[in-house]
Amino acid sequence: MTQTAASPDTGVAANSSSAIIELDNIRKFFPISKGVLMRRSVGEVKAVDGVSFKIREGETYSLVGESGCGKTTTARMVLHVETPTDGYMRFNGKDTRQFSGSDRREYRASVQAVFQDPWSSLNPRMRVGDIIMEPLLTNKPMGKNEAKEQLDTLLRDVGLRQAQGAYYPHEFSGGQRQRIAIARALSLRPKVIVLDEPVSALDVSIRAQIMNLLRQLQDQYGVSYLLIAHNLATVRYMSHHVGVMYLGRMVEEAPTRDLFANPSHPYTKALIAASLPSHPDTVREEMVISGEVPSPLNPPSGCHFHPRCPMVMDRCSVDDPETRQLTAVHQVACHLY
Amino acid sequence: MTTAADTRAILEVKDLQTYFFTRTGTVKAVDGVSFELYPGETLGVVGESGSGKSMTALSIMGLVPGPAGRTVGGQILYHGEDLLQKSASEMRAIRGREICMILQDPMTSLNPVYTVGNQVIETLRQGSDSRSTGLRARAIELLEKVKIPSPDVRFTNFPHQMSGGMRQRVVGAIAVAGAPNVLIADEATTSLDATIQYQYLALLKELQEDTGMAIIFITHDFGIVAKMCDRVAVMYAGRVAEIADVRELFNNPQHPYTEALMRSVPNVDDDVDFLYSIEGQPPALDDLPPGCTFADRCPYVFDRCREEFPPAVETSPRHIATCWRLTGDSA
Repeated sequence: MTQTAASPDTGVAANSSSAIIELDNIRKFFPISKGVLMRRSVGEVKAVDGVSFKIREGETYSLVGESGCGKTTTARMVLHVETPTDGYMRFNGKDTRQFSGSDRREYRASVQAVFQDPWSSLNPRMRVGDIIMEPLLTNKPMGKNEAKEQLDTLLRDVGLRQAQGAYYPHEFSGGQRQRIAIARALSLRPKVIVLDEPVSALDVSIRAQIMNLLRQLQDQYGVSYLLIAHNLATVRYMSHHVGVMYLGRMVEEAPTRDLFANPSHPYTKALIAASLPSHPDTVREEMVISGEVPSPLNPPSGCHFHPRCPMVMDRCSVDDPETRQLTAVHQVACHLY
Repeated sequence: MTTAADTRAILEVKDLQTYFFTRTGTVKAVDGVSFELYPGETLGVVGESGSGKSMTALSIMGLVPGPAGRTVGGQILYHGEDLLQKSASEMRAIRGREICMILQDPMTSLNPVYTVGNQVIETLRQGSDSRSTGLRARAIELLEKVKIPSPDVRFTNFPHQMSGGMRQRVVGAIAVAGAPNVLIADEATTSLDATIQYQYLALLKELQEDTGMAIIFITHDFGIVAKMCDRVAVMYAGRVAEIADVRELFNNPQHPYTEALMRSVPNVDDDVDFLYSIEGQPPALDDLPPGCTFADRCPYVFDRCREEFPPAVETSPRHIATCWRLTGDSA
């Protein structure tokens, strides 16, 4: 793996390419019910509470945040596994609520996923070739020769040997399994692939292999990624745009370079301060935030971050902060700005 | 904190070998590991899965899962006494009081059917002959020390009523209850969120400053090493590839594996255009090549590497790496 992939930072400028998927003020509330015979709703978990962003063609959009911030629920809505409670999504400019049956089929084929754990995401009883080709053959019947050709191309593109298509998943290491999952996701030539923590289960020396492979495939296939990750270094390396989420809300959003050059929301600053240094001499702005992420069942009033925020002001516990434009491309939801 | 040179090592591991004897062959999980640990020092042990870092820790604790796994050679000198020669009951007295361990997943290291207070008291009772008087107060004190808010209320909580970060704090409280001289943290913060991990690492540093205990940090993350450790041992396929002071290792890595590993980690502080990635995978431990175990993935490999395992070379004081390139007679 020594081929060079173009850096996301040097890629397309922020506004020049068009949005493939657009989320507008999307919400997902899960009801909490009590009782066995007389089930009644006693409240709701606001897993995602008004999130908007765009996934642009050929680019990587990353969602970062700690557990419970709603990034996975958002990804599941993009995958159409979860239906939004409110708000809407557009795919190639078309409102997904107005989808016909064939639109829906096309959408499902255009948006694929790669999950965190390659040990549980591959069927152990299927040969790797069948795993990779299953989505393609389901959507597009084709002859044996053509299928074989497609499979060989996919295997080659993800760095596996042709013969390995006949093996079973248990014969592969974690990194290779993730390559299989990527080949399967690519088989339908999707527009968007949702990557849910694609490297965090892998060993350090394998992570770089997979990240480089994903970037190289993005160039080759022109696919967009929605990357869910908690590791900021991975996000910085992989993405063009970053959205930082906290307790179901987007607190800051910017092109990767702007976000790391000028992190503005106190939570983003805290996340960067808490990320581990790459050298013992690295000096970080000290920013210890106390406490833990509160329960999404009963989030704090006003700005959800205010109980942990070192810059908290009086109005933070009262008013919801509005999203403000710091620059044309940099948004932050905080009363400081 | 490196008062290292002038004090005696508290723990000396010498040529440790822990093997697993399976139907299909002998798996050399730990194969000739040596290092020293000095009082008050933090030693990082980094490596990928299967590099033998956890098995080294379990060997020190005398907890290698038998009957397949056995420590077959070497010495583990604690205060000059070989732990491998101790009886089971002698080891029981050392574990938990002299040497403690924190594991990755606090849900599996705490007992789900006892309150956390109960579990802290259990450890305290082990360490003293005093009856239950004062134990509760001391347990609450310990919970306070690991910064659990309202410890007297939390005392009566069960593990499932706490968050992951809180649980790991309880495990920390239990670990330091016996005032150990050596604390082994095996991926102790891996399951925690970023801001919680940050808090926990700060807490461990604080506890170390209070008690002067030595810490062995087992991790796969160079970031934790950079932040926490005084010295680092890099493990690969059951052996120590390189050991050095932390700054020396980061500034001047000698082993090709260390060098490659550092170049393959993305950086939060800088834009990286292209990450180096190490080709291939670590070798199978039941079928190790005759020469250097890293030879197949090494960019500098030459003939000798595949024939004979390289010797440990001290490239500068306290910096040791096992690589043929460093012996001077490479060709």
